[in-house]
Amino acid sequence: MINLLRSEWIKLRTVRMNWVLAIIAIGFPLVVTLLTAFFEGDKDGFKSRDLVSTLTGTTVVSALLCGVIAAASITSEFGFGTIRPTFAATPKRMNVVLAKGLVVVMATMVLATAVVLIGWFVGSAIATERGTNMTLEPWPSAVPAMIGVIVLTGLMSLVGYGFGLITRSTPVAVAILIVWPLIAEGLVGALLGVVTGNDNIGRWMPFQAGIRMAIVESFGDGGPSRLQSGFYFGAVALALTAIGSWSVNRRDA
Amino acid sequence: MINVGGLTKRFGSKVAVDRLSFDIRPGVVTGFLGPNGSGKSTTMRCMLGLDRPEAGTALFDGKPYRDLQRPLHEVGALLDAGYVHPGRSARNHLRWLAASNGIARSRIDEVLEMVGLTTVAGARLRSYSLGMRQRLGLAGVLLGDPHTIILDEPANGLDPEGIRWIRDVLTYLARQGRTVLVSSHQLSEMALMAEDLVVIGQGRLIEQSTVSSFVDRYADHWVRVKSPTAEQFVGAVTAAGGEVSTIAANTHDIRGLDCVAVGEMAARQQLVLHELSAQTGSLEDAFLKATAGAQEYTSVQLASPTGDAQ
Repeated sequence: MINLLRSEWIKLRTVRMNWVLAIIAIGFPLVVTLLTAFFEGDKDGFKSRDLVSTLTGTTVVSALLCGVIAAASITSEFGFGTIRPTFAATPKRMNVVLAKGLVVVMATMVLATAVVLIGWFVGSAIATERGTNMTLEPWPSAVPAMIGVIVLTGLMSLVGYGFGLITRSTPVAVAILIVWPLIAEGLVGALLGVVTGNDNIGRWMPFQAGIRMAIVESFGDGGPSRLQSGFYFGAVALALTAIGSWSVNRRDA
Repeated sequence: MINVGGLTKRFGSKVAVDRLSFDIRPGVVTGFLGPNGSGKSTTMRCMLGLDRPEAGTALFDGKPYRDLQRPLHEVGALLDAGYVHPGRSARNHLRWLAASNGIARSRIDEVLEMVGLTTVAGARLRSYSLGMRQRLGLAGVLLGDPHTIILDEPANGLDPEGIRWIRDVLTYLARQGRTVLVSSHQLSEMALMAEDLVVIGQGRLIEQSTVSSFVDRYADHWVRVKSPTAEQFVGAVTAAGGEVSTIAANTHDIRGLDCVAVGEMAARQQLVLHELSAQTGSLEDAFLKATAGAQEYTSVQLASPTGDAQ
């Protein structure tokens, strides 16, 4: 398994597109968070909670990009045909699927951890310098939200990977990954809300629930708690990956 | 040693490989021939566990491919030189391949040197020609120093030097006692390289034999006679059951009689012969004849400038 993990890590880091997406995924939340700390840090009413909200909110976008990286990590194998030499080198396909999934999820979680740590420590240093008291004590949900966005990134990568395994097509997997959370869930949630008369049902849509892991606001709005969100979205991600793995194992390469 | 037994693969209602069985012995290059769409590539994919066959087995030294722990050390396969990520360099392509089977990094430089790609090993593969990709594919095959080698159309896109090089490499590897199975449409190359043949058509085995016995069995055989007075015995040859066709002035091809019969006939008539030679058709002729009823795709005969069909 160590050999396979090394092999998949070499594959992941020797494709330029992955680096471009990773740089955007790191750069976007950091630039926004640090600029917020700089320009808002000297204003009355700016709190440490606001910096964490900005950081986790923008890192959700990074999580989506990590999902794209994860999806492309497997769909490009099918697209360029490298899945065949891959399976010829490792005939036990599930080992490949497992190694690739582990590598991409771990890599994106490390990326998200770096974003959160840099964003918080540098951002709070800037904001403190600008005159804001950056203590987190009044905001007990701030640290869980920062941990939550790291977990969300890993799960979003797993979802992207699952879509990639199922569809074997980069455009289709990326389109689903973007359309589902940004458009489809809103429409379906609203429709279900009208049909069932329950306005909170939209909060139980998989991605909407997953994103709740990263929010700083208090819960109790009829949606799942942070922990429930994690388990629920994690179950969806694992189910998608399991379906994709089964399909890859069963179909011709 | 490769043993394929009863291999069957369907795509929907189409039977791509139909109860195909053959054995490949070590120490020689075995050519895997068949018309387009005959199931050669599908057979190779099934052998490597990439396609799931409906029935049958493919064993490498008695073991199915899926049971090989580190396959690159036992079987080196190149199914398509295009199976590379264009954004990766050749060295990185070989690095992930080597890492998957625990092959040392130093081996990468060795195989790159073997295939002549050392100077361009850092270039992205999108800049590689098909011939360069074939060389890279062969480098991947050689990475684990395997005892069995399977190549699908390895000479595609290679220049004449490259074609000769791959022929020499494969012959050399076979002489070392390795099992080498190569599919190719370049029959003249196959005639120079292969000792054994497996010929298939429409997914079924047509023939498994040596190249020489395949050609003996399927190709035309005739006698060429060159004589300044050959016209005199055309009648005698025809009367003896021979079929004479004139190739050039004083040169005739005779079918239906062998060299001995033609020579004795010429001696009886005291004819001067400048040439009396047994002729045999090429591997290409034999292949076309053997697979005549098993062509998946046949072309329309083009009309000649005079309007006659060619």
